[in-house]
Amino acid sequence: MRIDETQRGWAIASLVILAVFTAVYVAYAVRAPEGPRGGSALGLSFGVIGFGFMIFAALLGARKRVPVWRIGRAQAWMRGHLWLGLLSLPVILFHGRFHFGGTLTSVLMWLLMITVVSGLFGAALQHYVPRVMTADVKLETIYDEIGTVRKLLREEADRAVETVCGPLGIGKSANEEVLRAGGLSAARAMATMNSGTAVAAAAETVVLSEEECAPLRKFYLGEMRPFLEEPKRRGARLGNADKAHGVFSGLRTLMPPSGQATLQDLEDICDEARQLVRQEQLHHWLHGWLLVHIPLSLALILLGAVHAVMALRY
Amino acid sequence: MAQRIDLNYFKRPTGLKRAKFWLSVGLPALALVWIAWHGISRDSRVYSSGRMSEAHAVLEAECGACHVQTAGAFSAKASDAACLACHDGPIHHPAETNSLSCATCHTEHRGRVIIVAARNEICATCHGDLKTSGGATHFASGVYSFEDGHPQFAALRPNGGAPASDPGTIKVNHAIHMKPIRRGPNGPNVQLVCGDCHQPGAASGKWIYADARYTTASTSYSTQDEVPPPGKETTRRPRPMTGRELMAAVRFAYACAGCHSLAFDKRFDEGVPHDKPEIVHAFLVKKFSEYIAAHPSELRETRDPGRDLTGKPLQGAIRVYTLKEWVGARISEAEELLWRKTCKQCHALGLGVPQSNLPVVEPARTTVQWMPHAKFDHDAHRGFSCGNCHEKALTSTETSDVLLPGIATCRVCHAPGPQHAESRCFECHTYHDWSKRKEIKPTFTLPALRTGGR
Repeated sequence: MRIDETQRGWAIASLVILAVFTAVYVAYAVRAPEGPRGGSALGLSFGVIGFGFMIFAALLGARKRVPVWRIGRAQAWMRGHLWLGLLSLPVILFHGRFHFGGTLTSVLMWLLMITVVSGLFGAALQHYVPRVMTADVKLETIYDEIGTVRKLLREEADRAVETVCGPLGIGKSANEEVLRAGGLSAARAMATMNSGTAVAAAAETVVLSEEECAPLRKFYLGEMRPFLEEPKRRGARLGNADKAHGVFSGLRTLMPPSGQATLQDLEDICDEARQLVRQEQLHHWLHGWLLVHIPLSLALILLGAVHAVMALRY
Repeated sequence: MAQRIDLNYFKRPTGLKRAKFWLSVGLPALALVWIAWHGISRDSRVYSSGRMSEAHAVLEAECGACHVQTAGAFSAKASDAACLACHDGPIHHPAETNSLSCATCHTEHRGRVIIVAARNEICATCHGDLKTSGGATHFASGVYSFEDGHPQFAALRPNGGAPASDPGTIKVNHAIHMKPIRRGPNGPNVQLVCGDCHQPGAASGKWIYADARYTTASTSYSTQDEVPPPGKETTRRPRPMTGRELMAAVRFAYACAGCHSLAFDKRFDEGVPHDKPEIVHAFLVKKFSEYIAAHPSELRETRDPGRDLTGKPLQGAIRVYTLKEWVGARISEAEELLWRKTCKQCHALGLGVPQSNLPVVEPARTTVQWMPHAKFDHDAHRGFSCGNCHEKALTSTETSDVLLPGIATCRVCHAPGPQHAESRCFECHTYHDWSKRKEIKPTFTLPALRTGGR
């Protein structure tokens, strides 16, 4: 979700609520003879409201699981999650008079702070990363399918090299239908069309002589295929767009014209492999913070409920 | 394109999804186990809203000691009864209109704080607009804090239009005593310091100007003549004083005798006792009687005509006394010296019983506790020179001058904020009137307390 004009209503409402609560707390803290207390009527009110905000924020997860329920638009829930969740921190600080208190309350405070901060971090990432993703990963695929797509890329690259150099002696497992349908080359062609660059030509079936093919075979087996098998490995020249371009430029000078199209195809495959690595990185940034945010928020809700019951008990 | 995608991909969780799921299950479960473990081990400390005060730290694990659950009540708030089970909390004032619960002032679970350190705001709930059950009050109202509304100290306030005055009767010119004195008991050029005369009762300081003949002698006058007892409204402290808080009344034997001789006749090296006139008179009778018995030749007195300066005709050059006449004449001379000069230099003397012809010494009425409603500790201020606060002592010439520092002097250090000393009400004032303290019946036993019971 982007933090843009559409958030204005929620932002203003949240600021107003925060201002009102702050004014109430300051007046209460100044006038209360015994000082502000979480157990006083106002202190408990802050606690209940803050916990209510947290529960609402946590219900976003449930709302996502049952999207067909007619309980408001998902966007509204997301905005409520964002702003009410953020508001819960100052409200709970008012409840706890800016002190962490005992063991359980300290744990709760830390959980709340980490949850809110991780949420803010996540919101910032959700704002920026999709734009970066659009710019950097034109051949974005479904994240869960990256492994499969990588495998197909390897197979397509094998086919392309075998087309001009003959059998490479690598086990055949490529899906013939994929290749017949145009394979990944067609997908890349569509992506490059969208970006306005030249369309990659389909590979022709021209077998070069052993001598002509030697540089390509050596490059492919020695460098490109290991890269396609392990694209995240550090230090690989093909992992860097500029270096990769240099490598392929040098290779073009060694290859006859009939092998140039294949080289272009291989370069495109490397480019897509790099984009998949980039997509993975961005995806981890985009969703990795949830590994902190969600478990801690669930623990927060659980322990918060325990605290509410025990605080009223004592 | 569709052929690139495994249409069942969503059925296979990725590592990220798996991690998210297991963390979402594991962490709350861990939290639940943690809290349950505390419940099983009957350790309620985890639910505490904060660490307890220093005084109650021993009860940190004993929630039930204060949070006594009463039948039908959902909450087990710490009740006054629970507090009073261990220590009494006498009322503040018989005429108070607002009765506060213990927890109003003594808020627990706020860390290792001093729990007697009540907030000013609590005191101000009454003293901001003071009302008493008896109607009018002579105590100041509109007091919110030491900085806001606190009046000048009562001893320094004008009384009925008259300026503040020291009720003491001992004549002291502080200015003279603080200047270099040319002649002292141990040599010339004496420079007195405050501690030569003023020391706390329990101080073990050396008295430079003490006279052993007086310090070891017993006296017949009462302590109340020197230091009147504090007024009825004085708030007693919860614990006995150490004796170092207040300056003791200046005693002649320790502070004055070194310089102020009570000599009465050139025939004797010693002075008269520092005591009531009757005692002094009896001393003189005894001394002169003993003397003349030992020196009967002095009954025949050769008068020095040059000494009669009045112009009256001189009597015979030689006069012979009887024993009674001689003793009477010497006593008369000595008492003339004492009553008119020596004693009167410091004491206010009144007319005594006509038959005895002896004066009556006014009680000293030295004020030791100038602020009966507040506690002040000189010992806590021992690092400061006396003159910093008692500035007027250097220039005061009148006995009636009140040399108590004003509230402005205190406020130099005692103010809110960092780099200042405590300035909240409790620093000087005691809330509970400990003279009304009731004894407490013990309820805790040590092993049981440490293992979760009484």
